Amino acid sequence: MSDDSHLLPYARRADFKVARANELTGRDRRLYRLLEIVPGVAAWGTLLGIIWASIYASFFAAYFIIAFAIYWVLKTIFLSYHVRYNWKRLRHHMELDWSQLLQRYEYNKYRHLVIFPFYEEPLEVLEGAMEGLIKAHYDPQKLIVVLAAEGRVGQSAVDKTVAITAKYAAQFGEFVVSVHPADTVGEIAGKGSNVHYALHAVHKQIIAPQQIPHKNILVSIFDVDTVIYPDYFNCLIWHFMTAKNPYKSAFQPVPLFTNNLWEASAVSRVMAMSSTFWQMIMQERPDKAATFSSHSVSYQALYEIGYGQANVVSEDSRIYWNLLLANDGYFDVVSLSYPIAMDATTATSAWGTIKNIYKQHRRWTYGVENWCYLVYHFTKHKSIPLRRRWSIALQQGEGYWSLVTNPIMLFILGWTPIFLGSRQFHETVLSYELPIMVRNLLTVAMVGLVFSSIVSLSLTPPRPEGQSRFKYIVMALQWIMVPITMIVFSAIPGLDAQTRLMLGRYMGFWVTPKRVQ
Amino acid sequence: MSSRRRTVFFWGLVLVFLFALPTMIFYTTGYRLTFEEDAQTMVVTTGGVYISTQSTDVDVYLDEEQIERPRLFRNAYYIQNIDEGVRLVVVQGSGIQTWVKELAVESRIVTEAAAFNLPTVPRLRPVTEFQTATGAAVYFSSSTPATLFADATSTTEFIVSPTSSTVGYVENPEYEFVTSLFGTSTATTTSIFADFIRDMDRFRFMAPGEEVATTSTTTPTIIEQNEIRLVNRELELYAVWQGQSQDIPYYFCVASSTLASTSAQYGQHVADAVFAQLGTTTATSTLVLVDDRTCRTEIKLDRLRQDVYLFDFFPGSSDLVLLQLESGLYVTEIDDRAWQNSQLLYPGSDFRTIIENGLIYVELHDQYFEVITQIEPN
Repeated sequence: MSDDSHLLPYARRADFKVARANELTGRDRRLYRLLEIVPGVAAWGTLLGIIWASIYASFFAAYFIIAFAIYWVLKTIFLSYHVRYNWKRLRHHMELDWSQLLQRYEYNKYRHLVIFPFYEEPLEVLEGAMEGLIKAHYDPQKLIVVLAAEGRVGQSAVDKTVAITAKYAAQFGEFVVSVHPADTVGEIAGKGSNVHYALHAVHKQIIAPQQIPHKNILVSIFDVDTVIYPDYFNCLIWHFMTAKNPYKSAFQPVPLFTNNLWEASAVSRVMAMSSTFWQMIMQERPDKAATFSSHSVSYQALYEIGYGQANVVSEDSRIYWNLLLANDGYFDVVSLSYPIAMDATTATSAWGTIKNIYKQHRRWTYGVENWCYLVYHFTKHKSIPLRRRWSIALQQGEGYWSLVTNPIMLFILGWTPIFLGSRQFHETVLSYELPIMVRNLLTVAMVGLVFSSIVSLSLTPPRPEGQSRFKYIVMALQWIMVPITMIVFSAIPGLDAQTRLMLGRYMGFWVTPKRVQ
Repeated sequence: MSSRRRTVFFWGLVLVFLFALPTMIFYTTGYRLTFEEDAQTMVVTTGGVYISTQSTDVDVYLDEEQIERPRLFRNAYYIQNIDEGVRLVVVQGSGIQTWVKELAVESRIVTEAAAFNLPTVPRLRPVTEFQTATGAAVYFSSSTPATLFADATSTTEFIVSPTSSTVGYVENPEYEFVTSLFGTSTATTTSIFADFIRDMDRFRFMAPGEEVATTSTTTPTIIEQNEIRLVNRELELYAVWQGQSQDIPYYFCVASSTLASTSAQYGQHVADAVFAQLGTTTATSTLVLVDDRTCRTEIKLDRLRQDVYLFDFFPGSSDLVLLQLESGLYVTEIDDRAWQNSQLLYPGSDFRTIIENGLIYVELHDQYFEVITQIEPN
């Protein structure tokens, strides 16, 4: 039996875990490189195309901008409707007694493998994660906790694992420490490679020796700042038991970046909540979602793909696409609509916070590398229905394109025909009405921000002592920054990431600093 | 959310989009619904008027109906939903002269105009040889300010010294500057047409075979701003466009294509100016086609049938011309659609004027002052 006999057939391909064009040869390399260029060209082509059209086809540009502004208003309504719906579901799920719901199921045989990869995060962050597990309404003996340190950090990381082991290891069924060796060939340093190593380590140390059936293990890969809500495992196992294809599904909670929300700056809070809202939207359209950040999946599924990739930046989503391809296009995302708490991005200074948020979002938007991966494999994997391949490729492509172009088109380029348009255009009623129309449509779209403000306040943790009540007002009003944050922390980092990919200047994994020491 | 619910909601919004897009495109291009009984169709096309004003403290009327003031700190009015035709625009206010213009409004087109309103009572800033420590101008005779400000107001404080002693006052460096300006300037109160008239007279009485003397004509100073040049030619003043045709200011152009329609929309003088040139090209004036408009390259300035002693651009503007005429200092707009508005800046006949660094200085009976062009703030 070969080493890859446990892998699904498509996962045995040599190019299954390709990360970039230079890992391939010949036609495949050229195709992959072309796909890496497409998103950047599409984004730049759109932005420059609007400027060109504003100068040489002002009327067309104006009509396009009106159409786009209407589309934006309707999209806002569409997405706000999803947020509202998920908000209700989230609150309902938080009120449910999940252990009661689980009584009619036999779930004692299942073990939860919980992996916390960490880098240089302070000890208190690791302790917070452990405390979350202990406070969970779940038998801790069913938990296999893996603390996955990075060897390149050195002795300080090892010291933290020793401290955490001494304090918490005895409280869980199993407790494993793995130290991911630095500079492993074929990997990029980051969370993905660390998790990949940890899964191998826990397989070797626990799963194989104890002969735990792979189908009886649910793996939760958590960012180290993840603090679970008490019923997370109950909610997860309930969804697992009731899922249509539990071994062909990933389970996605709603990340609330609220651990340090009261200490975070307004910009940080807006970005954190915006990310939460986006995940709430995706919870309501799981057929279009991929896994993001902390999520759970069966060990069996991971084992069948060799634990995913250790050579990509956006490993949290890539693992889902690996699973989808290996399972011939049939792998679901199941929305838990149940929260997990994480850290909002902060720094010791305002400028540091801005830089960190920018870098974090650039890393997230570098997820566009997954589009290249998907489309490349869609040209190879004929077992996936053609319609499904097209549907996923277009939907993912539109997502990355709109992320980069839409805010810039709406808030900046919407006015270019007025400034760059021809003289003939400037004399028309259209030229004068265009800014009024766009302004009015944007104002309507901004009404959605009022709703965002309300939802955000409802998800905010109780006010800690020492924090002023006045901050509630700031938290309500902070949403007026959204037009700026959309451009500065979504569109520009996205364009940055896509341009780097287009030019073949591949990014590495940048670790978001968790909580300021 | 169920997939069906999401799908229904999605397609509902698609329908809204399909309805809203043409509706909004038609609206922004000037189409409006009308429910008036005498309307031939339910859909009418409208145009707009864009009026820029020099002050926010003015009232604008379109066909005697007051237009709502724009937002704070904005001095431009965009008036929507105007039916095609000739419309009367009035810009007026307390303490300022009224600007009135007839403008031809076309469907789907915005007609632009720049209004200007000078103070009704001239506003002067005295420039005296001495001033107080606090900067107040000092006159040594009560008759001087009485003469100067008989029909004007002073924008700054001045005092009349009971004695001729200058003790306690400080010298005003601006006074020295202004006197030197007038001392070295060729500013006169002689007609700018004097040379032309002299040459014409010489030509008229010239004996057969005698050549015209060329030494009597002086080389005129080129007065040009934003590619508009002011030219004195054959007893008239012209504003001549010097730049690229696609950049020519809107008031040089007409949209209509016939003499009658141009006359109806812009005035007979504009129709004459345009159609007299059709098919001809001279050294001084040509017609250019810009998009679908016919544009002259020169516009004759209204000198109120008076002799001209000085002409220059009004400080800070290339659309307005400062003219010193027989009865005073006037500001005239180059825009001659319907007519040219001329407003009196400073009355009188025996003063000299110099424009320096955007300021208008006047010398009257050895007294100097600056003519303030801005309206007094309320």
